[in-house]
Amino acid sequence: MSLRDDLENKEIALIDILDVILDKGVAIKADLIISIAGIDLVYLDLRLLVASVESLVQAQAEGKTVTSAQFDMQKEALIDATGQSEKRND
Amino acid sequence: MGELLYLYACVPSKEMTTLPDLTGFDGEGKLHTIQAGAITAVICSLNAEDYNEDVLKDKVENDMQWLQEKAFHHHETVLALSKLYTVIPLKFSTIYKSEDSLKQTLTENGSKMNDIFDLLTGNEEWNLKIYCDDQMLKEQISKSNPVIEQKRQEISQLSKGKQFFELKKLDKLVETELEEEKNRVSERVHEALKKLVLKGNVKRTWSSEVTGADKKMTWNSVYLISKEDVERFLEEVQSYDQEMKETGWQLEASGPWPAYHFSSFQT
Repeated sequence: MSLRDDLENKEIALIDILDVILDKGVAIKADLIISIAGIDLVYLDLRLLVASVESLVQAQAEGKTVTSAQFDMQKEALIDATGQSEKRND
Repeated sequence: MGELLYLYACVPSKEMTTLPDLTGFDGEGKLHTIQAGAITAVICSLNAEDYNEDVLKDKVENDMQWLQEKAFHHHETVLALSKLYTVIPLKFSTIYKSEDSLKQTLTENGSKMNDIFDLLTGNEEWNLKIYCDDQMLKEQISKSNPVIEQKRQEISQLSKGKQFFELKKLDKLVETELEEEKNRVSERVHEALKKLVLKGNVKRTWSSEVTGADKKMTWNSVYLISKEDVERFLEEVQSYDQEMKETGWQLEASGPWPAYHFSSFQT
């Protein structure tokens, strides 16, 4: 099998897909274009969605509820994290 | 109520064959095409009531699950098309209110799109990400950099109290050297790979929290490569990866992508 075939079937990360379709796809004049704020934020929300569902399930299993303070902490951590990538020449 | 047209991609009319059976954005309708001279648009129809501007805005802002699902749908559709034709991939949710309006846009941009088709025909877009193990690299820098080694010698002669602050300063110096070394090495690889490709662009990197990977992404770049050179390019990437593995580096290529990074033109 060639390297190409090998890689062609590999799974792609969601962040890369969001990056290309929301940010890099060609923008031409249209009647309706839904603009989306920074993809970091979109991705952050998606991660939060996954994280909150996971911790909710976990908390329910342990008989606890997730406090909004915990939720805010997670969110802040993620915002800090995604704010760090600065290299941008494209 | 009328219908809207969701545009996925533009294809050269001369390449068009019968479109494969692909499901549209609403999960029900099928993809079809509209031709305007040399350019053919691949679209799907949407019910104007279910997909008006307010509904879409609300979904995009408030329904992340929906956005994720539709983002995948858009990508997979464009990817499937790119396996069959030369495509100009459009931005997510590019929508027209009538066939006339879409045709007019295609006609207005026809010659620029033709130039892009010329650039893309027979070529593929590939992505390269370089990761590195900061800790491993830091240790190498500490050992091999003469300036740092000398500083370390000097510090060992100082009193304990002074040593503490001087060591902190030295850590900072190592951090700076680390970032520089990461860029130097990545850039060297990038420049070498550029000799095998038609175009190469540097993108920004994702933070570890975003990628979920343990290793730090130090480089993210895209290349437009002639199809016959792709295997050679990938072999080169693989050999760098194997060569640099022991020193904490990892190279990862992905593709072929629809040519998202090489299709833009001024409208």
